[in-house]
Amino acid sequence: MIGPNKNIRAARYGMTIDVDRCSGCGACMVACAVENNVPPANPKATDRTGLTWIRVYKIDNGLPYPETRSAFVPVLCQHCGNETPCVHVCPQQAVEVDPATGVVGEMPQRCLGCRYCVAACPYHARYFNWWDPKWPAGMEKTLNPDVTPRMRGVVEKCNFCHGRWHAAKQQAAADGKPDTEPVEYTPACAEACPTKAIRFGDLNDPASEPAQAAKNGESFRLLEKLDTGSKIYYRSKREWVRQIANAPHPAASGKESFHG
Amino acid sequence: MKSTRRDLFKFTGGAAVGALLSPAPWRLVTDTALWSETWPGVPRPATGEIGAKYTNCSMCPAGCAVRARTVNGQPVALMGVAEHPFSHGVLCPFGLAGHHLPYHPARLKQGPVAEAKAAAMEALAKCGKGERAAVLDLRPGRTASWTYRRALAQWTDAAYLAPPRTLGGVVAVNLAAAKIVLSFGAPVLDGWGTLGNAIAARDGFRLIQAETVESRTAVLADVWLPIRPGSEVALARAIAGLLRKEDNSSLQAAASQTGLREEQIVEVARELAANRPALVLDSQERSEILALNQLTGSLGRAIVTRRETPVPDSWKKAAAETELDAVADRSIRLLLIDESVPGAYVPWSAIERKLVADNPVVVAFAWSRGGYGRHARFVLPTAVYPEGVDDIPPAVDSPLAMFRLSNALVPAPAGVVNPAEFVAGLAGISASDALRERSDAIAKTGRGTLFTYADAKSARAKDVKPDDFWKALNQGACWMDDPPPRTEIPKLASRRATAPAAADDLPFAVVMADAYALPCSPILSKVYQESNLRLAANRAALHPSAAGDCGVKDGCRAMIETRSGKLEVLVTLDAAVPKGVVQLAAAASTLELFASSARAKVVRI
Repeated sequence: MIGPNKNIRAARYGMTIDVDRCSGCGACMVACAVENNVPPANPKATDRTGLTWIRVYKIDNGLPYPETRSAFVPVLCQHCGNETPCVHVCPQQAVEVDPATGVVGEMPQRCLGCRYCVAACPYHARYFNWWDPKWPAGMEKTLNPDVTPRMRGVVEKCNFCHGRWHAAKQQAAADGKPDTEPVEYTPACAEACPTKAIRFGDLNDPASEPAQAAKNGESFRLLEKLDTGSKIYYRSKREWVRQIANAPHPAASGKESFHG
Repeated sequence: MKSTRRDLFKFTGGAAVGALLSPAPWRLVTDTALWSETWPGVPRPATGEIGAKYTNCSMCPAGCAVRARTVNGQPVALMGVAEHPFSHGVLCPFGLAGHHLPYHPARLKQGPVAEAKAAAMEALAKCGKGERAAVLDLRPGRTASWTYRRALAQWTDAAYLAPPRTLGGVVAVNLAAAKIVLSFGAPVLDGWGTLGNAIAARDGFRLIQAETVESRTAVLADVWLPIRPGSEVALARAIAGLLRKEDNSSLQAAASQTGLREEQIVEVARELAANRPALVLDSQERSEILALNQLTGSLGRAIVTRRETPVPDSWKKAAAETELDAVADRSIRLLLIDESVPGAYVPWSAIERKLVADNPVVVAFAWSRGGYGRHARFVLPTAVYPEGVDDIPPAVDSPLAMFRLSNALVPAPAGVVNPAEFVAGLAGISASDALRERSDAIAKTGRGTLFTYADAKSARAKDVKPDDFWKALNQGACWMDDPPPRTEIPKLASRRATAPAAADDLPFAVVMADAYALPCSPILSKVYQESNLRLAANRAALHPSAAGDCGVKDGCRAMIETRSGKLEVLVTLDAAVPKGVVQLAAAASTLELFASSARAKVVRI
């Protein structure tokens, strides 16, 4: 992690996710688990205790069949840039916002497993290791050498594929590029998305796709009213999808439902 | 100054309080966490030389091009080959984790090879009048399939069996030519053909999806027609009547059966008539539905005749392909089932009645006991992707012939069997060089283009020497045929409808969620168990109010009972499933249970 430095041109990595292009195939979830050495589920794990740094939720418009319509919304750490809730509550300073990239980083070595951050995260994007990480015999050979597996008892979450960012920095250095400039790279989920619904880039670069998408009238951020400065911009032409991102109180509508 | 006992206590107490207020103990806690990071239970990823290998995924008939990132030669991540002209760099979630398959806990590594061979030889010798040996090949069109056919030609009355299919053999689909696709439950954007090709062609056609539950394809379709289960043929008949401009007598009946409004059906027919060629697909390839293509201008344009991938001349005296229904009941004494690569599933009940009554020998070549291995006398383990070397026939949506190999990226265990060589050995023919012979036969024609993955370059096949052609295929390449010199109008095979009987006294209609479940990496727990994004084989989805009527809740266990059996499941509530419908994943267990009955009841355990 790099401290504040006026000589560094800071990046602000972010994403745009086109909900209307997401088929809910789960390729992003699988690619993320493979890239970041997230273990397969413990037999006792459920959708509440599993580990998925990115999770695709199925939402619907709440209308009765056959008027019901569904959409898939991938939810990952939103890399909040404003009063980041998980950073504030961590007693161990295990969570920090990298000023050079804007990425909210989690340091499992410092984590005590108190799960304050899990409770504080309004997006349910943090996951606790309830079990020792285990791979079937022989499958450890397929682990990514750039990422250390985490132990039981710590919280983990999306870090925009820090290993890939690091590799891109090394490549930039090898190519003789200045260390103070942001690097271009693609996280595993964006690379694997078959429909290219997930796009990644530097929000500080006005030409990048997320920066362009952020200005689009059909773009929205999850729970925008919380003003967390999320760096994940969603997009949909459908009004009911955009509305559901504001999470009206269930009692107010009695319609929305989530699966996945 | 004299130090007293009291001073000592004060100093000790003060030091203890001071230490607590210093960073030291907190640092110690952090360091304790650091030590625990290196518990023996947490594996350390191997480090070493980073490299890349190329292959083609053989986990489904699409055969997408794959680039494997390797560490010391061991694949650690798979991704598509972005420049590939057909798969366009796309891999599905199953393909992305295919390199985990050799380590699947259910994987078979040893089997009774010698005993199976002896029993097979004995069964061959005992074959009496009207009895035969047969091979059931779940993925026909491979070089291994030709080996089976050549081997079976050595035996009297032997049968080469393949799952029935109208599209995918010599008749293929050209999505790029279609202006409209009307799909009756075919998962066009979720595993029906080549995912990358379907997505690349998507902007060129309007997609109308007719099915009961809103699938992934329906979510991305331009129009979803939510029809009642089992009403697909009625809808097709009504559309056919409208396209032929016949009387609209079937329209009212179709509206009543499907639950659609008459105007919706008329609008679909109008769109099909106005936007030719309009392609009609069906998940079950029912003749009455596919026949709509004759009225929508698809034949010869969106449905084409595909040339066969060349084979050596000496292979052409092989046994012909036979459908299981054409084989007499109680006539198969020796049945060899190749499920080493996944393909369409033929229910065991349909196979079983073809076996002789007294002591038939069934040998299944499989990677696990989850499929036909449950019924076979012998289960012989095979290599799995990416251990084995096998070719992948062109996918259903490839209008051109193709030849590509799934290469061995990791060595196979010593105990596995090559099914083609096993069968060839029984027949006394050689098959060890079959892939090379076919490669040479293709290179000899000089037709087509060879696309190599490492450098993303294309070369005319006539400019590549046979040795280099073979070498390139083994290092990751794909041969694609030239377009045929003249367009042949394909003939769609007419098949007898095999709709399961409906027992109307049972309250729920059964709808299958996904195509026949692939073997998959344990990491797919992310989508099946840790998120329920996809319906697992042990789950059933119900509408919340229907679940309430049955007394079941989300996550509770229930029994799905039909007239032919029952299945224990976990209940998932989904408001997108209509009342009166239970949705199940299409796995071997569910396909067998519902092959003869399309209705069920849900009982709380």
